[in-house]
Amino acid sequence: MSTKADVWQGTLALMVLKTLHSMGPQHGYGIARRIESTSEKLLSINHGTLYPVLLKLEQEGAIVSEWGLSDNNRRAKFYRITKSGQKQLAKEVSQWTQANEIVARFLALKGGKA
Amino acid sequence: MIRFLRRGWNRLAGSIRGPRADADLAAEFDSHIEMLTEDNVRRGLCFEEARRQARLTFGNIESGKESYRDQRGWRALETVLQDLRHGVRGMRRNPGFTAVAMLSLGIGIGACTAIFSVVNAVILRPMAYDQPDRIFAVREVIPQVAGNQSIPANPLHAREWREHCPSLAEVGLMRWAGALLTGGGEPEMVRGLQVTHNVFRLFGVRPILGRTFLPEEEQEGRHRVVILSETVWRRRFNADPAIVGKRIVLNDENYDVAGIVPGSFQLPYAGDMEPTAPNVHFEAFRPLVVNKGQLRPMGNFNYSAVVRLKPGATERQAAAEMNTVQARFPPQAGEKVDLKVAMIPIQELVVGRSRLGLWMLLAAVGAVLLIVCVNLANLVLSRIASRERESAIRKALGASRARLFGQSLIESMLVAASGGALGIAGAGWILNVLTGMATLDIPRLAEVRLDPAVLAFSVLVTTLTGLLVGTLPAWRVSRHNPQEALRAGSHTVAGARGGLRVREALIGIEVGLSAALLILAGLLTLSLTRLLGVEKGFDTEQIVTARIALTGKLYADAPNRDRFFGRLRARLETIPGFRAAGLVTHLPSRGATWIDPIYLEGDTRPVLERPLVNNRYASPGYFASMGIAIRQGRDFAEQDRQPAGVSKGVAILSEKAAGLLWPGARNLVGRRFVGEDDAPKTVVAIVADVRASLHEAAPPTVYYPYWQRTPSSVSVVLRTAGGPRPSASALRAAIRAEDAQVPVMEIQTMDEVIGESVAQRRFQLTLVLVFAGAAVVVAGIGIYGVVSYAVARRRNELGVRMALGAQPGKLLRLVIRQAMTPVAIGLAGGVCGALLLARVIRGLLFGIQPLDPLTIVAVVGIVLAVGALSCVFPARRAATMNVIDALRFE
Repeated sequence: MSTKADVWQGTLALMVLKTLHSMGPQHGYGIARRIESTSEKLLSINHGTLYPVLLKLEQEGAIVSEWGLSDNNRRAKFYRITKSGQKQLAKEVSQWTQANEIVARFLALKGGKA
Repeated sequence: MIRFLRRGWNRLAGSIRGPRADADLAAEFDSHIEMLTEDNVRRGLCFEEARRQARLTFGNIESGKESYRDQRGWRALETVLQDLRHGVRGMRRNPGFTAVAMLSLGIGIGACTAIFSVVNAVILRPMAYDQPDRIFAVREVIPQVAGNQSIPANPLHAREWREHCPSLAEVGLMRWAGALLTGGGEPEMVRGLQVTHNVFRLFGVRPILGRTFLPEEEQEGRHRVVILSETVWRRRFNADPAIVGKRIVLNDENYDVAGIVPGSFQLPYAGDMEPTAPNVHFEAFRPLVVNKGQLRPMGNFNYSAVVRLKPGATERQAAAEMNTVQARFPPQAGEKVDLKVAMIPIQELVVGRSRLGLWMLLAAVGAVLLIVCVNLANLVLSRIASRERESAIRKALGASRARLFGQSLIESMLVAASGGALGIAGAGWILNVLTGMATLDIPRLAEVRLDPAVLAFSVLVTTLTGLLVGTLPAWRVSRHNPQEALRAGSHTVAGARGGLRVREALIGIEVGLSAALLILAGLLTLSLTRLLGVEKGFDTEQIVTARIALTGKLYADAPNRDRFFGRLRARLETIPGFRAAGLVTHLPSRGATWIDPIYLEGDTRPVLERPLVNNRYASPGYFASMGIAIRQGRDFAEQDRQPAGVSKGVAILSEKAAGLLWPGARNLVGRRFVGEDDAPKTVVAIVADVRASLHEAAPPTVYYPYWQRTPSSVSVVLRTAGGPRPSASALRAAIRAEDAQVPVMEIQTMDEVIGESVAQRRFQLTLVLVFAGAAVVVAGIGIYGVVSYAVARRRNELGVRMALGAQPGKLLRLVIRQAMTPVAIGLAGGVCGALLLARVIRGLLFGIQPLDPLTIVAVVGIVLAVGALSCVFPARRAATMNVIDALRFE
């Protein structure tokens, strides 16, 4: 496999929320591009896999969607984060950071017997 | 949580909005790919390459859509909807199978639902009283006199319980007292009770108008108040709301109406000899007045006592307290007997005698439904055998085993559900017929209806039915090996040996259940025949009876009653075809009652140790009219009266009663004993013993001439040479002609009286016979189906055998032997099961043992015959087929 990491769904949802949070309303393509560019191409996703995640978030009420026009006047569906989505994002960010810290501390332990 | 719920709701909505959302999704994907392509072009790729790259980056569009759809709705729900549509199409495609399946399940589920709603209303649903589990009927037990059998209560005892038993919140007393309603239309005798004032409170019934009784109304002089049931209030008083406080005429006396109680209120009466409440709706209630003279420590056991326990008190405590009180009474009367109480839960009192029979019916109808299910499962199995290729192809195309299983099961569930709907609709109709049967002596029958509990039961049964019918076939469908099925043309593999095994096992179950039902039906049939054929001691043909009551001021005087009876008897003799006529206080087959001791002069034993006999008061001509044989001596005659019209002291004994006084003696006419009125009697005749109820041995009985007591209520017995109908109207006319104000109740032929006493047995028997018949037919069809299938499957093999020289007869035997093996195994199992079951229903049998060999032999014969008949046709087809055809058949 490539060095590009596969993305699992839970993280993808978090990234989508963060993207919408910082960039404002975006269409699916915009979100995909943003994720790729932010990860500096370390992360590659099949754009198609983004849509079930978007749908799930929409079903949960974290985002809403609306048809609109893109920068170059193309019809596209725009997604916008909702209030409940903001809350969800804040919660997940803190959980993620905490989990990250724990794992980091764990990995920082010196090898060998204590 | 909210997030979870919202997602669930949106997915449910998504499942339904499928097609429109699909178009939306396609547009979104298109726009995405367009934008991706444009960017790629901007990066310098040619359009074709840009588009290719875009597609690569996006990934597989169809699989993207697929996973999007999975997220959008509930996959399982969509699958189910799809399978349902498929199932409905399947049902439409096979109207024959669908009709048979729906109809047979409909009948089975309908019958089950109907019987269950009776069981539910009669046995399971609590009585409509306030906290019915605290209410008990109390009866008395004197082991030395009546063994374990309880007798009605004594009013003195009840009064003492009320005072000395802290566990009892209420003690109520009732006594049967009919009421003649006159004024405004035909005089009508209504069933009534005299009750203590607290009885309504005890049962927790509130009057819909007016009030209940006051304590002081139990005193003589203030007792002329009546509470009516809503039923008689509507029937006779046009539901007049102003009736409370009005005066009505009861038994020729004025009564003030105190209140009206709901028509649904049924008072259970525990004052009969049998410890069960008669199935009677009482309509008039008057206060019970108990005089000092009626309070005797050991006598007057004639009342129905009911108690309500205080909250927290137990049945055991209450019984212990009452028994302590009971111990005081026998010494007060100088008796050396034990005296205890028997507490009967009120529901048991009312429905106890119907319980076993109803459970048996439910079990029987359940067995029929089971047979129908098994048969359908068999039918579905043969259907899937022919659809094997279809399921193999689907499997090869990637359908999961679970999906195939689910789809097949859903098809069966659909059939079951439509059958269930049909059945529930039919059950309503069956119930109407059932509850409309006036002669059916089942308590609480008026309460039978399709209520939520019954519907829940039907839904449960329907679901179980669907599972039962569908699981086995579904399992087989999902287990098919697609490779084999696809490789092997068509039929040959279709029914691997294992398939036939399963189906033979199913046949075994069907046969076993049918055999058990047949044995049950046989035992019940024999019981009823024996019961009707029992030596009754009296005739039933060409006898018409009518019950009349002489009430009111005129007939308060015994001489007036006596004159009426005398004139009536004379008038009856003028009826055309007259053979004999007589009067009696209590008809045979209407139960044992009026029990008192008799003894020889000089007997020093305490009263309760003297022989107990049934008392009857009869007129001359009664024995001749009822066909009761006079063994010695002569009938009563007018010269047995003393000049004043008072009894000269004669009596007629039944053989058993005579045996109690003079064991083994002959020539009893002229001997003397002391009768129920403690006066000496001379025996003028000995007559044959007569059964008081068909299913019990005849009780010892003593007959006194009716003028000894001149009862106010008697049964007139008329025997004529003519048919029953003209006799009945002649009898009614004769009574009318004497006094049109005398109410005539229950004009019946003696055959009808007997029929009524066996109505419940006949009802059970009829249903079980129908069930057993249906079971045998269904099982026969099942056997036929399986054998036909087996023959078709083995056609090739049989052809080879034939080509090699096997005789048709031998082939016939081969097929039959194989077909009859499961029948024989099932039969053996069924007989064993029935033998175990028969012990349980021993209480419903009469005059035969549960292991009646005749029944068993007959049933084995019937089942084997049906089995042989069902397989002989397909077997003959096998034996007579054309060898060439058979071999070519592939």
